[in-house]
Amino acid sequence: MITLYNTMSSAVDLAPSRRRFLQASGGLVITFSLFGPKPVLARDAAQTSLAPPPAGKLYAWLAVHPDNTATLFTGKVETGTGVQTALAQIAAEELDFPFDRLDVVMGTTSATVDQGPSYGSMTVRYAGPQIRSAAAAGREALLNLAAEHFKVSPNELVAKDGTISVVGIPDRTVTYGKLVDGKRLDMEIGASGKRFAMKVAPNAHAKDPSTYTIIGKPLPRKDIPGKILATFPYVQDVRIDGMLHGRVVRPYGVEATLQSVDENGVKNIPGFVQVVRRGNFLGVVAETEWAAIQAAAKLGSTLNPSGPDAGQAKWSNWTGLPKMDEIWETVRKTAAGRNISVASQGSAALAFGYASRTLKATYKTPFQMHGSIGPSCAIAQVKGDRATFWSGTQMPHETRRDMAQLLGIPLDNVELRWVEASGGYGRNGLDHVVADAAILSQAVGRPVRVQWMRWDEHGWEPKGPPIVQDLQGALDENGRVIAWQHHMWIPTIDDTHLIAAALIGRPDATGDTGTGKVPVITYAYTFENADVAVHDEGRVALLTAWLRSPAQFETTFAMESFIDELAAAAGQDPLAFRLAYLKDPRAVAVLKAAAEAYGWHTRPARAKADHSGKPAHGRGLAWVNRDDVRVATIADVTVDPSSGRIKVSRVVVAHDCGLVVNPDGLKNQIEGNVIQSLSRTLHEEVTFDTAHVTSQDWQGYPILRFEDIPDSIDIVLVNNRPEYPSYGAGEPSTNPTAAVISNAVFDAIGVRLRQTPFRPKRVKAAMT
Amino acid sequence: MKDAPDDWTHAKFTKRWQLERRKRLQRGLLDGLRQIIAPRQRSIAFYGVNINISGVIRGDPMPAQELVMSQKINLNVNGAGHAVEVEPDSMLLYALRNNLGLRGPKFGCGLAQCGACTVLMDGNAIRSCVTPVSAVGNAKVVTLEGLGTPEQPHPLQRAFIAEQAAQCGYCINGMIMAAKAFLDQNPHPSRDEIKQALNDNLCRCGTHMRIVRAVQRAAGSTQQ
Repeated sequence: MITLYNTMSSAVDLAPSRRRFLQASGGLVITFSLFGPKPVLARDAAQTSLAPPPAGKLYAWLAVHPDNTATLFTGKVETGTGVQTALAQIAAEELDFPFDRLDVVMGTTSATVDQGPSYGSMTVRYAGPQIRSAAAAGREALLNLAAEHFKVSPNELVAKDGTISVVGIPDRTVTYGKLVDGKRLDMEIGASGKRFAMKVAPNAHAKDPSTYTIIGKPLPRKDIPGKILATFPYVQDVRIDGMLHGRVVRPYGVEATLQSVDENGVKNIPGFVQVVRRGNFLGVVAETEWAAIQAAAKLGSTLNPSGPDAGQAKWSNWTGLPKMDEIWETVRKTAAGRNISVASQGSAALAFGYASRTLKATYKTPFQMHGSIGPSCAIAQVKGDRATFWSGTQMPHETRRDMAQLLGIPLDNVELRWVEASGGYGRNGLDHVVADAAILSQAVGRPVRVQWMRWDEHGWEPKGPPIVQDLQGALDENGRVIAWQHHMWIPTIDDTHLIAAALIGRPDATGDTGTGKVPVITYAYTFENADVAVHDEGRVALLTAWLRSPAQFETTFAMESFIDELAAAAGQDPLAFRLAYLKDPRAVAVLKAAAEAYGWHTRPARAKADHSGKPAHGRGLAWVNRDDVRVATIADVTVDPSSGRIKVSRVVVAHDCGLVVNPDGLKNQIEGNVIQSLSRTLHEEVTFDTAHVTSQDWQGYPILRFEDIPDSIDIVLVNNRPEYPSYGAGEPSTNPTAAVISNAVFDAIGVRLRQTPFRPKRVKAAMT
Repeated sequence: MKDAPDDWTHAKFTKRWQLERRKRLQRGLLDGLRQIIAPRQRSIAFYGVNINISGVIRGDPMPAQELVMSQKINLNVNGAGHAVEVEPDSMLLYALRNNLGLRGPKFGCGLAQCGACTVLMDGNAIRSCVTPVSAVGNAKVVTLEGLGTPEQPHPLQRAFIAEQAAQCGYCINGMIMAAKAFLDQNPHPSRDEIKQALNDNLCRCGTHMRIVRAVQRAAGSTQQ
């Protein structure tokens, strides 16, 4: 018997009241805090439902405690991008409360309002104003309490740093904590609409952004000290009383069926509890994690199993996937003729007839994966018609609904307690592993923790889809663009079906197949004749869902590389060429800011093939408008013709996401996007045979290492001013990178790379 | 091309680097393993996968192993003795996380490929996900928890906080532990040497620039 580490032993209760949860989970919540654990007495004491709190009540957003600390409650979650800190800054600013005395509780469904998933660079942009309004209403409520307390008009009061004073009488002050006196903030502040579109506290008076003192400061992130000091609990660290460990055994082929399971030898594993089989869903449960791993291995959960009957679980010999080198043809053929026009200007078809020069190119990008360093993990406790989950999902409120649907139990009996996971970068395995844990827990009647093995994550997490794009451009005799055509074939980027549901034979229990529809590109050029269209599709080959800047990373690669091809054909400077066809002032501003910071000298791409065999230098430029954020990136590369290796030495990013809440947090995110997108550009491609994904570990799916990082990443913030709203910065700076590198390689050695990843072998092949 | 001053050095560097990396794999990670595994044993097995000590990871399944019941095993972790009841063949990572309740070392790949599970064993950075408990013996194991405390963080921890060198932070345990073992051997490294030292630790968020700066900062602070 092993000694279980009880992070939250007292939190295990199938029907906890919210108050009990908040008390019991204090040890978890307070990890984000500089203060000791405390009961959140101000929250609901009587309510026993697990439903989210009503958005129109102040207590749904804020609690003020007797020790003059406070808690912000938000349905948004942290995924490593720093939004917890940014949202806390917004709340502290409007509440006139010290930032370091404000805790943040995120995601837990019984404690927070559903503000929509934390994806798509939408957290600061949409949840920010909701929290801003709620906190402004909170400040007004506190001023009203103080007015009663001092028997004066609220106009005679001033709030600062969590205290309220009577103007001109410095000794008449009272803290927020004293005013609230441990009570719940029961004030009605009003709310309408749902999720991203929700309007909160419509009558609250938020501050004039030009007076901000907390927003705009590069404050240290709240989560970082705990992550460095090993005190921070990830969902992978959660341990529950009586908890068992589970592992899944996935089919050998993606849609293979389970023929037989031989439990011989599995039952003898010390600590083994049960093999769980439901249709094609197979899992094991054991007292210890090691026993679960051993049992799963016996059944066939290993790295690169040799065949469908390599383990003691035998699978049918399913080989329904297309061949890897034919995937883009498959993508093309799968498009059922749907053609969604993104831009239709003049007549491109006619204009091509008048071209003095026409260029055509096809761009291809492969399946790529999120590749979280920590495999997906969840804990489920399902008993009868009640269920509690511990999960790091980016969409806790949706996952709660999905689990109620999957298990067929009332939504009001389901709670998801959110705990941060290893970074996700989109919809990875985190939602799927919740379903795995649910099925295993339901089968054994005890709480079960499931963590995927590395091969489960690499093999089964939803991928970013392969995309093929045809472009055609026409120049007149003066080198002006007279026609532009860009057609994209894009499999679904939002397939939300759950793997476990399909395996138990209920593929449509939850979720939707989705499509590769717009917005996957923001077309912004002003060509007289343009035809930009998306052919969106459902699932092609593997399960696909959103991966950081879904599809727009790929479409930006094609659009911004192909315009470089036209600029080169016209013998023009790539920056000047773009500026000639752009009216969007924010796009022009980031391009000019990046060029200035870089020291851009006007010249066409050199594009000279150098046969000396010496390493060659090049510079590349590209930009994007993603979710109303403008980003321009310039990079220097050195290409070694003997090895085909691309080394990126310097990167300059000009970034306009409007008013910046936390400049250092933003820079951290931009640096991360640059490095991660560089990894996707240079290294990453999911491999597969006709049965399954074959890149099941970090050798099969290499990502960028320290040896490949640039010498510098310089960041210029553009339009960081109070008159601009705060747009989201989670994804946008991902987008230009592949085009930047492709363009820089062309400048260096005159070779145009139109297919990612740009591994040395591919570069060498392109050179010959 | 006169604007290419660094390229030859770069190319040479790259080549040397590749050799270095191979050597490091043997010297660092795998030497650590060699020390702890019976000298004649050429490979260790886990989850049906063989890790060859020469550094090649093969995927062929192992023949069924003998089942060993759990035993009480004494481990010296973060300066204190602990008796843990585990199977001797089970990996150190699970004993640290599940028996001792430590959060520093993380499960990342179980294949010694990513470094999230890194701990110090007698001062060497080793991958606890492929180190059997039976091989630890009397070695002194130090985890991230044992480096410093919230009240008295280790200089590396201070530096990582000062540089805000984390995003999701899941890899950071490995980064700090690998950097600790490295700086103990090479207290005044260049930026390139730091990059080499951390090259077998994976980060997915892209925090590399800050991680390197943090190690540089820590190296600077220990110089004083």
